[in-house]
Amino acid sequence: MNKKHTWSKNEKVFLGLLIPILILFFCFNTLPLIKGFYYGLTNFRGYGNYDFVGLRNFIEVFQDSRVGKSYLFTFKYAIVMTIAVNVISLILALGLNSKIRGKNALRGIYFVPNILGGLVVGYIFSFIFTYILPAIGEAAGISFLSNSILGSTTWAWVAIVIVGAWQGIAMNTIIYISGLQTVPEDVYEAGMLDGSTGWRKFKDITLPLIMPFITINLVLCMKNAMMVFDQIMALTKGGPSQSTESISYLIYNNGMSGGQFGFQSANAFIFFIVIVAISIFQTTILGKKEEQL
Amino acid sequence: MAEVILKHIKKVYPNNESKKKKKGEPEKKKSNLLITEEGVVAVQDFNLEIKDKEFIVLVGPSGCGKSTTLRMVAGLESISGGDLMIDGKKVNDVEPKDRDIAMVFQNYALYPHMTVRGNMEYPLKLQKKDPAEIKQKVEEAAEILGITQYLERKPKALSGGQRQRVAIGRAIVREPKVLLMDEPLSNLDAKLRNQMRAEILKLRQRINATFIYVTHDQTEAMTLGDRIVIMKDGVVLQIGTPQELFDHPVDTFVAGFIGMPQMNMFDAELKEEGGKYTAKLEDVEIPISEEKQERLRKNKVKSQPITLGIRPEHITLAKENETHLTGTIGVSEMMGSAVHLHADAYGKDTIMIIQTMNLTAEEQKNIAIGNKINFMFNGNMVHLFATDGANLEV
Repeated sequence: MNKKHTWSKNEKVFLGLLIPILILFFCFNTLPLIKGFYYGLTNFRGYGNYDFVGLRNFIEVFQDSRVGKSYLFTFKYAIVMTIAVNVISLILALGLNSKIRGKNALRGIYFVPNILGGLVVGYIFSFIFTYILPAIGEAAGISFLSNSILGSTTWAWVAIVIVGAWQGIAMNTIIYISGLQTVPEDVYEAGMLDGSTGWRKFKDITLPLIMPFITINLVLCMKNAMMVFDQIMALTKGGPSQSTESISYLIYNNGMSGGQFGFQSANAFIFFIVIVAISIFQTTILGKKEEQL
Repeated sequence: MAEVILKHIKKVYPNNESKKKKKGEPEKKKSNLLITEEGVVAVQDFNLEIKDKEFIVLVGPSGCGKSTTLRMVAGLESISGGDLMIDGKKVNDVEPKDRDIAMVFQNYALYPHMTVRGNMEYPLKLQKKDPAEIKQKVEEAAEILGITQYLERKPKALSGGQRQRVAIGRAIVREPKVLLMDEPLSNLDAKLRNQMRAEILKLRQRINATFIYVTHDQTEAMTLGDRIVIMKDGVVLQIGTPQELFDHPVDTFVAGFIGMPQMNMFDAELKEEGGKYTAKLEDVEIPISEEKQERLRKNKVKSQPITLGIRPEHITLAKENETHLTGTIGVSEMMGSAVHLHADAYGKDTIMIIQTMNLTAEEQKNIAIGNKINFMFNGNMVHLFATDGANLEV
């Protein structure tokens, strides 16, 4: 038992690969989380002195109407996003996985939005929504389009969904394409002989066999949508009249410049737990429907 | 009634030559498939009339077009030319599901997310059959195949043999006119393969279907088929009963493919003198039976160098004072009832199967590695091929 452990060459390689990542993860993920919790216990305004206030912030998060409103918006956004992105990307993946000309080039093109930064895309779309669409609306005489939808408290969130979905679809489509490729060709052929075509083929064979990929896509998409920030920063800055204020944006905005660093840290910590809970919930529910090939 | 008729069936894969040239790699020739302007011809001019309830086996080395032919019958591959008739109707462009066929795949191709019952029910459900009828049919099929106790399991909880039974079950619940099998046993181990082979034979008695079975295994072909179609490089070489193929192979390829162990081939000389034929291997005269002489005469065969074939079973030991051939024993495999000898004779590894029953104790002692062995061919059983491989008697 007292023999000193000597590291084998393999173990050294493993550690060499693992340790830098662990350090980075700790510094940029774990540490901020711990510090966030710590600041959540204070009345820190982001500057100056602060005192410990116990769990007061954590309780007040649940009573704050602005926080409540941002949760409502974020959930609405995340649910619509998750459904829209997954339906569209699955349809795209089915198309891009079929025998069509220029399939690889098209796959490349559909992936482009993913490599552009969220803010860049946001500003491009902001330009489209603010200038191009109203101009088209005016020229065509469509009154609905002639005012920027970014200025409407009812419709601004739709603009954010469009931009978020445009970007989110890219990654999801790629994941679905790889999922569709795991379905063995002869299973489809057996289905063909059994008379399973069209919708039945999709419902009875394809869908159940790509369940693991649906799970991962739903979880990732939900998580990304819950943490929506870039698009709001670029398009609406939470407006008009806080109608598109997501939780992340509220935390950033009021935490950094609103003098609520402590309070928003508590908000952020609770938000973290909410996302973890949702992800675990999704994986357990969907995991039951997954089929090991 | 379900005859299947294949008339001049052809499969051409369009050329992708231009694509390949761009890559700039010299293309390796993988096979001897005919390449025309249209593309690679995977199956050329396949003609076969399959009678109702007949069991046809398509056999040949990989890449010979046997699976392609089967898949054309199934409707999984398009037919490039010719007519495919099932039950008197031309079905070239009929959807697979409307051809009244079922298929068993090499890799089972079960629906992994459905139970055994679900798998077997699925084709019937798609036909919108009555649930009570479905239940009854599935249970009947499960009973025949001995998988009743696994009905509620998923395929992944089954062994290879059980999975293949489920696949067969899924195919037979539909009571198809034609049952197609694409190398159904090649994923199973040897023992299970023998067992399943016997079961397929039994199954055949119980269901009214025409069978088309693809394999590369000559034992499966010989034991299962009413008739065997032997293919090579997209061409049908011979169609016949197992016995016909064994006794009268059209060429050296068929001769070598059918029969285990393989037929021995020697370079020999055929001499014709006044309508009398003699074969000479080195200096030894090999008798040719009158029956064979007759066929050679009919074909007006001339004196020529030949390939002389003899199956291992048809070699007998010879005494020193008889006309005989000689070899040196390299390997001796004792199988009990027979001994398989590999002897080096006339530059060829000659395999002979000697029944131990007829051996004297002394002879048995003499069969030892390194010893000389004297043997002779049964004149009735030699096969005479031209140097290009064609059988001179056919």
